[in-house]
Amino acid sequence: MSDRALGFQYGTLAQQRETATLGMWAFLATEVLFFGALIAAYLNYRIWFGQEFIAAASLTKVVLGTANTAVLLTSSACMAMAVTTFDAGSKRAPVLWLSATGLLGLVFIVIKATEWWLEYQEHLVPALNFDLARHGGVAEIFFVFYFCATGLHALHLLIGISLVTWLAVRIGSGRLQPGGSTTRLIGLYWHFVDIVWIFLFPLIYLAGRNA
Amino acid sequence: MHAPREQTYLSATVDIRSWLLTTDHKRIALLYFAGITFFFFIGGIAATLIRFELITPGPTLGSPDFYNRLFTMHGIIMVWFFLIPSIPTTMGNFILPMMIGARDLAFPRLNLASWYLYMSGGLITIAALLLGGLDTGWTFYEPYSTFYATGYVILAVFGIFVAGFSSILTGLNFIVTVHKLRAPGMTWYRLPVFVWSTYATSIILVLATPVLAMTLLMLLAERVLHVGIFSPQLGGDPILFQHMFWFYSHPAVYIMILPSMGVISEVVPVFSSKPLFGYYFVVWCSIAIAAIGFLVWGHHMFVAGQSLYASLAFSFLSYLVAVPSAIKVFNWIATMHEGWIRFDAPMLYAFGFIGLFTIGGLTGLMLAALAVDVHVTDTYFVVAHFHYIMVGGAVMGFFAGLHYWWPKISGRLYPDYWARFAAILAFFGFNLTFFPQFILGYLGMPRRYQSYPPEFQIWHVLSSAGASILAVGYALPIFYFAWSILRGPRASANPWGATGLEWTTRSPPPPENFAKTPTVVRPPYQYDRGKPCMQAGDVR
Amino acid sequence: MSVATIWRCWLALMLLLAATTASAFAPLGSLNIVISLGIACAKALIVLLFFMELRASRALVRAFAAAGFFWLLIMIVLTGADYWHRTDAKAPIDQIY
Repeated sequence: MSDRALGFQYGTLAQQRETATLGMWAFLATEVLFFGALIAAYLNYRIWFGQEFIAAASLTKVVLGTANTAVLLTSSACMAMAVTTFDAGSKRAPVLWLSATGLLGLVFIVIKATEWWLEYQEHLVPALNFDLARHGGVAEIFFVFYFCATGLHALHLLIGISLVTWLAVRIGSGRLQPGGSTTRLIGLYWHFVDIVWIFLFPLIYLAGRNA
Repeated sequence: MHAPREQTYLSATVDIRSWLLTTDHKRIALLYFAGITFFFFIGGIAATLIRFELITPGPTLGSPDFYNRLFTMHGIIMVWFFLIPSIPTTMGNFILPMMIGARDLAFPRLNLASWYLYMSGGLITIAALLLGGLDTGWTFYEPYSTFYATGYVILAVFGIFVAGFSSILTGLNFIVTVHKLRAPGMTWYRLPVFVWSTYATSIILVLATPVLAMTLLMLLAERVLHVGIFSPQLGGDPILFQHMFWFYSHPAVYIMILPSMGVISEVVPVFSSKPLFGYYFVVWCSIAIAAIGFLVWGHHMFVAGQSLYASLAFSFLSYLVAVPSAIKVFNWIATMHEGWIRFDAPMLYAFGFIGLFTIGGLTGLMLAALAVDVHVTDTYFVVAHFHYIMVGGAVMGFFAGLHYWWPKISGRLYPDYWARFAAILAFFGFNLTFFPQFILGYLGMPRRYQSYPPEFQIWHVLSSAGASILAVGYALPIFYFAWSILRGPRASANPWGATGLEWTTRSPPPPENFAKTPTVVRPPYQYDRGKPCMQAGDVR
Repeated sequence: MSVATIWRCWLALMLLLAATTASAFAPLGSLNIVISLGIACAKALIVLLFFMELRASRALVRAFAAAGFFWLLIMIVLTGADYWHRTDAKAPIDQIY
């Protein structure tokens, strides 16, 4: 069994594990409110501005966005595989699955960067080169939301990739043994970043597609 | 210095690294206490200058712009760097683990990180103020704060943003601790009310503060990028900023008051030698206040331009949120009824709290009425209302807790007569400062104005006179607490004869709180009616 | 979480993704956002219940998970109450003159 350290404030390892899990879920709740505030502001503007706001969404790149969603959903499956195989006692399998997870995360970042580059080319970046005369102020507000949301999401994803890489190294070098909660907690974080994207995707990419 | 057989949390290690790298919740509480005292002092200086400025109808100290920077500084520092952290980070950190029979919080290193985040955020904001400050008011309304305000908006907002993470992590720590680290036998309904109140506060910290973080981030984006998300130039809506800001900032005021209520719920039973009346009502009302408090934020925006239907909903919900607060007040009074009252300093502060909070709360109901609010919004009526709650309520509760738990924290007793004198002085000073402001507001004096018509002067002079008395009342504890540390008589484990796990361990507590994890067998507040249950100095 | 479950969930997620993207191109008016958010909720539930193991978790953990979303709902509904009912109509007192 593992010989991981027991904090002096805990009575048993199980208590420590359960506490860590609750702590991670509490943290994820704060992230729900953090991203949620942005989404709430977006929704309110969508109600208030109506068609103009929705039309701005059609300027986003739905093919790349859909591909990215598929990438991230698959990465979550890989993360789940990493947790399951690690629980089963394997060492090589979780490292491979974690590498796949991180790799897919990087693919996401690359596709996102491509999108941003294309948007820059098309004069859709607020404060940099947004073509106000052509698209209007409401569209610029939409794109502020777009860049804020995808930018913050990408930042969280980069943190996730770092965590996953760190975890892969720890497991691969044998310094992390099953029985704790570290892998699971990093998995929770990764899945949460996926959930944020699950909601951002339709709001950003799927509006105004049938005008 | 005598040599105790056991170490206390103060004497275990004494070098600076052991303090700055501590993970002991008790030491972290003292680190926070130093921080909030410092910020209270800064905010107090701003208040002094404001009251001094308002003695004459015209400019007294400086330009209107200087005055705008003063009240902005006062609001930002007092709200985010004093009131919100005050009780949770000091008494919550110190006492809560002991109350539940734990050895520390669930995540001690996170606790230390919270302190560093708080101090960093505070120092960043102080830097903004030293560099010249800002004049937006603590509410940062758009588009003024983003497109028109001069001053160090970005720096100050960033400081608050950083400190917000301290709030979130502290709340997270408390919630998880209360769920998982209770001693055997400490069921939820055996928890002292202070724990329930801190738990309710932590729910708000965890769920509301992230919204502030996002709101401030969007404000920064607008100011840095000059793209008007909330400004009319591009078609944005300034009201949306207000919705997002107040979604946090209204629950924030419950962050400020709930811990104080928790303290009062601890102090009143002890000093009435009676169990708390209606324990179940009091604890569930704490949760109710936290929950309903999330539903009322629009009452800050009745005249801002939100739809009438939204205003109606918010007005109704604001009336609803007063109910659990009132229930608590009735329960405290019922606790005192036919009790054996001791008028020690903590109890005097508790009396002050109950009276002043009631006035503040009732005037809040007046403000919740749409028609009245149209008349008195943005006047001194509002200023008086929230100072009655925040100063007459929250700060009095803070001082009550400070005086109640001081012997436990420091291991020393303070001179009781000076403490009672300070409490009474503060009470009178407070009322003289803020009651005239109700009248001012009713008569039409707007808030945040440096100059005013001469007919208002008499009320401002009374208010400023009161402020000087209040200042003395707040300054006195510095002296007698310092005296108590240097020369005060040593405190026993339980000088007040109180129930509660924190009183079963020595004063000051040992680093691990309890030699042996206690087992709890009875509910809290088991006092003998009408009889003093213990003599001061008894140790079990 | 068995391996089979994981990949079944993955398949479901992929199908839902295809469905949501396809439906966006169908002219369904205000139904479009309902469908797309509904599908998003379904995807999120799959991730929450299976990948994040909420199906096998204690009630307390589920309460923590639900709390954030529930509170977000409060914010969206109550701010929406304002934006749904903004009108250009004058308040009664401004209609007198």
